[in-house]
Amino acid sequence: MQIYLPIAELSVNLFFLIGIGGAVGFLSGLFGVGGGFLLTPLLIFSGVPAPVAVASVTGQVVASSTSGALSHYRRGGIDMHLAMYLVLSGIVGAFGGVATFSMLREAGQLDLFIALGFLILLGSVGTMMMVESLRAILKRRSGVVVRERLPHQHNWFHGLPLRVRFKKSRLYVSVLPVLVIGVIIGFLGSLLGVGGGFIMVPALVYLLRVPGSVVIGTSLLQVVAMMGATTILHAVQSQSVDILLAFCLMVGGVAGAQFGASANKYLRGEQLRALLALLVLAVAIRFGLSLVLPPADPFSMAVLSSGGL
Amino acid sequence: MKRALLLALIGAFSLLSGLVRAERVVSELSTDLIEITSSYAGERVNFFGNIEPDTGSSEPLQGTYNVVIVVTGPLTDRVARQMTRQAGIWLNTDQVVFENFPSFFHVLASDELLDITNPATLAVENILPEAQPEVSTEAGWWKSSVFGRELVRLMTQKGFFGLHENAVQFLSNTAYTARLTLPADAPPGPYLASTYVFLDGKVVARRAEGLAVRKTGFERFLAISATQQPFLYGVACVILALFTGWLGGVIFKR
Repeated sequence: MQIYLPIAELSVNLFFLIGIGGAVGFLSGLFGVGGGFLLTPLLIFSGVPAPVAVASVTGQVVASSTSGALSHYRRGGIDMHLAMYLVLSGIVGAFGGVATFSMLREAGQLDLFIALGFLILLGSVGTMMMVESLRAILKRRSGVVVRERLPHQHNWFHGLPLRVRFKKSRLYVSVLPVLVIGVIIGFLGSLLGVGGGFIMVPALVYLLRVPGSVVIGTSLLQVVAMMGATTILHAVQSQSVDILLAFCLMVGGVAGAQFGASANKYLRGEQLRALLALLVLAVAIRFGLSLVLPPADPFSMAVLSSGGL
Repeated sequence: MKRALLLALIGAFSLLSGLVRAERVVSELSTDLIEITSSYAGERVNFFGNIEPDTGSSEPLQGTYNVVIVVTGPLTDRVARQMTRQAGIWLNTDQVVFENFPSFFHVLASDELLDITNPATLAVENILPEAQPEVSTEAGWWKSSVFGRELVRLMTQKGFFGLHENAVQFLSNTAYTARLTLPADAPPGPYLASTYVFLDGKVVARRAEGLAVRKTGFERFLAISATQQPFLYGVACVILALFTGWLGGVIFKR
């Protein structure tokens, strides 16, 4: 069944959209990530214009993170104080990201920067995750007890000024690294159409030493608020949010995530992370190849004025 | 200069021939409004027409007529870009903007175009797809023609441009019919179907009809909201997303 997408101005198979939404939702439920980093590339590779793909997936990410954020909120797994700082700085970053997005789109370099951004981001995160999970798997095999680093070890930035006490996270740190993380994730998230959970969680855990009990919930709330704001910014600035496209993806994604979450129980943590790392690296390699290999057609075209009614 | 003179002469001749014999064409489209609904997947347009003696001209029609129908889509500014390899990476390095470029241009003819008339007449009547890119003063003549050619090729690959020789069928000596399928991704906007009747290589009658492709119902509402109330549209997207996410959580009891 074909469905006409009014903003993308193309006709796509409805089941294909719900299908990729569901498949990505399954993976996101399985690995506990937002899935934007898979969905945006999939849409771009299947012919949806890059601006529409990025802007619409932003809306989908809000939906896929909402149910998780709500359940964490009910369990008290969110540090509201920390989330507030992250959201506010994230929105500042999103303003920069959406402005850059429009600028690059006009200059004809948007696709290049999306590919480069995904390559660098996913390549580095995927490699780190791969190394870390392989090490954990090997250590488990050889029987060495893995000792987690203590949450109260100090980094260089613990000496920075403007320290704030985050009661729920039992942290007393400078707000500067918190704000920097927020701005960077807001910028990248709005530029690439990813929630940034896969950068946010490691950053909170390894850099700020936020305890595991609040890290996922806080990150999810930040994703919901920041991507919500980004959706509105994209709608105003580039007018490329396709609500029908986003809705089809949401329906598939929300349903798929539930099945993924139940499949999650059958896999161990390190194995999961190794699989996720493989997936992330595969997407990064796909983008890398598109940059390096000669394109099928060196010429391309784009419409400068906006679409008709 | 010589060419201009030639064109003027051709124009004068076609005018003269028009004085001697007078034909007119009556034509009709199967539809003048194509509505894009949620299940829109392209639509076929049929063209019907008849060549008749003009009012006041009692001379009977004779000779073999040819008909060319040009369907032009809404004009937009389009950019053609070229990728080159820079430091091992392929990126867009050059571009030419073509203003007022038709987003749809299909030519239907009753015979091979070159058997109908000469290239000069085709150029004067703006019938050729490859002549659509206007020269960009910014890029200059040569780059405009190189990029314009590529743009026409890309548009043809996408099915937005095309030349269909022998696509107009004559039912009798004077009545003709033709059909064209608008693809699902044909851009919405005003379309123009121009009909040219040729006799012995000269245009003896012409007629233009409008045709609108527009989003309708819910699709139109969404497209209007997205462009005219972008803030509210964005807020609506977010509320929809929050609601869908919440509903999913409730249904699956996560």
